Formats: sequence, structure tokens, C-alpha cells
Amino acid sequence: MARLALLTLVSAAVLAFAIAVATAIGDYTIGLGTVSLAITNGLGLTAAELPPIEESVVWDLRLSRALVAALAGAGLALCGAILQALLRNPLAEPFVLGISAGASTGAVCVIVLGVGAGSLTLSAGAFFGAFAAFGVVALLSNGATSGPNHTILAGVAASQLFNALTSYIVTTSGNAEQARNVMFWLLGSFGGVRWPDFQLLLVTVPLGLALCIYMARALDAFTFGDEDAAALGVPVGRIRLALFAVTAVMTATIVSMVGAIGFVGLVVPHAARFVVGPMHMRLLPACAVIGAIFMVTADIVSRVIVAQQTVPIGVVTALVGVPFFAIILYRARPKA
Amino acid sequence: MAIAIAASTCLGSAAQAQTDFPLTIENCGQSITFEAPPQNAVALGQNSAEIMLMLGLEDRMAATAFWPNTVLPELAEANAKVKLLSVEFPSLESVLSVQPDFVAAMLVTLLGPDSKVAKREDFHRLDIPTYLSPSACSVTEVSTDIYGARSELWTMEQLYKEIEDLSRIFDVAERGETVIADLKAREAALRGRFGDRDDLTFLFWFSSPSPEDDAYLAGGNGPSTYIADLLGGSNAVKAPSEWPTLGWEGIMATDPTVIVAAQVDRKRWSLDEAENKIAFLESDPIVSQMEAVQKGRIVVMPGAATNASIQTLYGAEEVARQLEALDLVE
Repeated sequence: MARLALLTLVSAAVLAFAIAVATAIGDYTIGLGTVSLAITNGLGLTAAELPPIEESVVWDLRLSRALVAALAGAGLALCGAILQALLRNPLAEPFVLGISAGASTGAVCVIVLGVGAGSLTLSAGAFFGAFAAFGVVALLSNGATSGPNHTILAGVAASQLFNALTSYIVTTSGNAEQARNVMFWLLGSFGGVRWPDFQLLLVTVPLGLALCIYMARALDAFTFGDEDAAALGVPVGRIRLALFAVTAVMTATIVSMVGAIGFVGLVVPHAARFVVGPMHMRLLPACAVIGAIFMVTADIVSRVIVAQQTVPIGVVTALVGVPFFAIILYRARPKA
Repeated sequence: MAIAIAASTCLGSAAQAQTDFPLTIENCGQSITFEAPPQNAVALGQNSAEIMLMLGLEDRMAATAFWPNTVLPELAEANAKVKLLSVEFPSLESVLSVQPDFVAAMLVTLLGPDSKVAKREDFHRLDIPTYLSPSACSVTEVSTDIYGARSELWTMEQLYKEIEDLSRIFDVAERGETVIADLKAREAALRGRFGDRDDLTFLFWFSSPSPEDDAYLAGGNGPSTYIADLLGGSNAVKAPSEWPTLGWEGIMATDPTVIVAAQVDRKRWSLDEAENKIAFLESDPIVSQMEAVQKGRIVVMPGAATNASIQTLYGAEEVARQLEALDLVE
């Protein structure tokens, strides 16, 4: 118990440190004194006279961005952990299951085709796209009742389908600049996020976490297989559908805000299992915290790796995620 | 060109020379007010930067960003005095770090409502006025396609409006009139040199990822179609989209009189280079059967001319010169 308390304390401190670093550094050099005053000003604790541009950079750009990154990372990692348990497959995550691809298609429909342009925002398009993909995966995997590998394959098919649709829309109606814009979006970016995005995530992600923790014992049962879970008195079909829905809502909200950021949901749950073990009561909060730290750090890297320019966040997470994916594949190979 | 502007400076009407501040400009559906002429402007996008440089504003520019092509040669010296943030999309922080008092952009991807770089409100909240190119935003209100197809042929008029607006904002209206007069004269001269004819069609090849891939062409009502129109011909590609992609079988079916190979300076694909385009056209056993290739009717134009910009006219002049060399002018 003491170990758990220590872990909680340490991880909270690391997350706070990462967010502090994210607010302190950037292309615009701002003194640490100004940074801290800008934050206390924003919180209403002080009322120091600061240059408006510097105050806005710290408060509106960096802090809101770091907090959105933290919640997005927490949410995606959580979704990964849930899907891996539900499907009993270490490779499951929203990106692999095609939900991110569906969101991209929805966004591209709005950007390129102008579907509902004006009345429908890009984010709303992504949200509907994510749900469409979820529907396709559910349909292809025969509701939520068939085996775990079946669902992964359905996800791969859905990814292919939606990526193909995206490519088709871009190549037939896109222009060169537009294609760049779409690509940037597909790889994810925290560039456009502001405080309202944070407020939306502040509702969605903690609520998702609470719901999942509420079902943590059922998730533990799922890892033994559907029949064993049912034998333990878990209403398999209902719980699975509910958790899928929670995952879809969280992923759709996050992806519609910052684009398709891959591999966070894949990497973080595995890292978290190393630290706190497989029981979901501990695993889910650990995923949320580690996901938050991972994403804030990845965003710092994406902002400073090329001066004056921002590298899409998806590039950074994938550079870390793909080798990790390979390691898991290697470890999961059938023993001879 | 620089001499032409200097010589005609005295032609500007003195009555409109002075801008009264505060000045309010209607731009892309927003009213933007300027308390004083900007002293520290940022140009997002090559065209916005080149217009400012043409207006002789290099001393009042803090920085530029996003350059798909190299700067016009006559503006190179002035451009060297201005800080370059990035030839790609810059970060919003880096734009703010130069303390701009004005931001102008050429594309909605740089300053539009869905832009990941910056939104107009980001600057307006800090009392920094913004300006978006009319060529970029004119399409949004009339079309279902936010960036792509235009409902009407793009013309230099949108560019003249932009130059006029910017010259008033910077209180150099006289200089603006001179630049516009010069461009108008060159546009009229081109139009006069080429009579309308039905048998002259152009294929504008922007680039391709590889010879096997579909080629990015210029179509629709975009600047390339305007160039074709200015030179008395028409665009061989009738697709309504501004940047359609087409396979070589489809391209051969359009049977253009002239193929315009764009020289694109970015180094993304080998077929960005005009000379590689020409080498492919002449060596591919099937494509080389096109009449335009057989008769050597391939001309080279800077890729920047295919964007709605001042470079469009330069591109048209470049194509015109080569058309005359090919004896294609009646």
C-alpha cells in the first residue's frame, strides 16, 4: 500500500513537472518569472502587468495545449487498455481498430467535400466518422460476440476501408495545399487546441475513467475469456457493448480535436502493466497518468525538434510506438 | 521591372496617396481596423510576402514564412533583409515571438478557421489586425469545396484588390497604384499579343509522385486556366476541380496542343523538376506518342505561377515567350 502511495505521488509530480516544462519552453523565449506570473494571473491569484503577447503565449497557447495533451494522452491510453482487455489481444487500440481512420475520413469529408460545411464543423465530422468506423467494426465482427482475433481483423479491414476512402477523397478533389493540410491533420496536431477543447475533455476523460474503473472487476474477468467471465456472473454482452461505447466516445472526442494520434493506446497500457500489474483497478489509473506524461512529453518534443515549426505529434508518437509494437509482436510469437 | 516601376511612380494620383487612420477594411467577411500603418508585419505565405516586398516594405516586415518556391529574382535582395521563420508552416509561437503588429496570409490553411497554424482570432485577441488574400477566401462562400473549385474563373482583379488593400494599410497607396498599373499594362500587353483561338489547348502538369502515378494537373477555374485564357487558348483539362489527378491514358485523351511542365522548387519528388518531366515525356514509349511531345511543344513555367499570386502573370509571360519561339502564335 505504501508502494502504491509512493507511485501515485511520484507520477503526479512527474506529470506536474512535464506540464511545467511544456509551459516554460517554446519558440518564444519567455523568462521563468513571467511564465509563473502569467499562470498565477490566469488563475486569478495575481494581477501583474505583463506584456499581453507573452501572457497569451503562456496561458492560452502553452498551458491549454499541455493540459489538452495530458487529457488526450490519458484518454487514448485508457481506451487502449480497455480494448486490449475486451479483445484479449495485446495489439488492440483505437488506431489499430480503425476508429481513428474513421474519424479522419469524417474530417476529410468536411475539409474536402464540404459535406455540411458551415453547419457541421470539422470536429463534428470526425466525431461522426469515428462512430461510423465503430459501427463497421461491430458489424464486421458480428456484433460484439465473436472472438477477439475476429474483431482485430475487422478493425484492420475498417482501417483499410476508411484510409482508402480518405485517399480517394483527397486525390480526386484535393489540391496540393489541401492535401498537405489533410496530411497534417491525419498525423495529429495540438496546434489548434485552445481552452474550450480542454473544457470538453475535462468532462469526457474523467467520466470515461470513472465508468471504466466502475467496471474494472468485469474487465479482470474478461481477460480469462468470455465463458469464464460469464461463469463469474459477468453479463458479458452488455458490459462489452457499454465499454465499447465508452471507448468510442472518448476516442471520437479526442481524435476530432487533435487528429489521429497513433500508438499511445498501444504503448502505454503495456508500460503500465510492467509498473502496477494486470489488475484493472490499478492498471486504469496508471494508464491515465502514464498516458498523460507520455503525451505531454511527446508534444514538447514535437515543438522543439525543429525550430520555428511544429512536427505533427503523430510522427513523434509513432517513432516511439512502432519499435514498441515490434517488441510486443516478437514477445507474443508462438513459442516453438 | 524595377525600372518600369521607378519610371512610372509619378503617374500615381496624389489625391489618394494619403491613407486616413483609423482605417477600416472589409476582408473575407470581416471588418478589420488599423489604428496606424504597420511597422512590424508578418507575411504568411509567399504571395503575401512578395506583394509587401514589391511595395518596398522590407524595412517594415518582421518576418515571413511558407515559401513553396524561390523568391522572384528582382525581390531577392529586399527579401534577404527580412527574417525567415520557416519555408514550411510556422508555429504560432514563432510568429508571435517577432512581436508582429500586422499579419497577412495567402492561404486559409495558414490563417483560416480550421487552421492548425493560427486563427484570425488568435491575433485579434492581442489587437493584432490580420488580412487574408481575397484569392484564398473568395472561393469559400460560393462553393461547397472550401479550398478547391472556384465557381468563376480566377482573374488578376482579386490580386489587384489585395495589392490595393495592402498598400492602403501600409499607407503607400501611390506605390500600390504603380505596381497595379505595371501589372495591368503587362496583362493587357499579353492579351493583345494573343488572339483567341479554339485550337490552342494547354496541359499544366504540376508534379507526380512517380511516372506510374496519376499526375497532379491544374484544372478548374484556377490561375492556370486563367493563363491559358490570357494566351488565347483554353485548359485541356476540363475537370471542375482546381487540382485534379489524372492517369496518362486520360491525359493522352485530352490531346493538348502544348504541355506546360512546371518547375517546382521544393524537393519532394523527382518529377518536381521540369527537366525530369520533359525526360519522361520524351522517353516513355506511349506518352511520347502525344502530338505535343512529337512536335516538341513542351514549355517550362515556374510552379508558383499555378498558385493565385503575382507569379501567375510572370508564368504567363514565360509561357508566352516560349510559345512565340515555337511559332505557335498567329
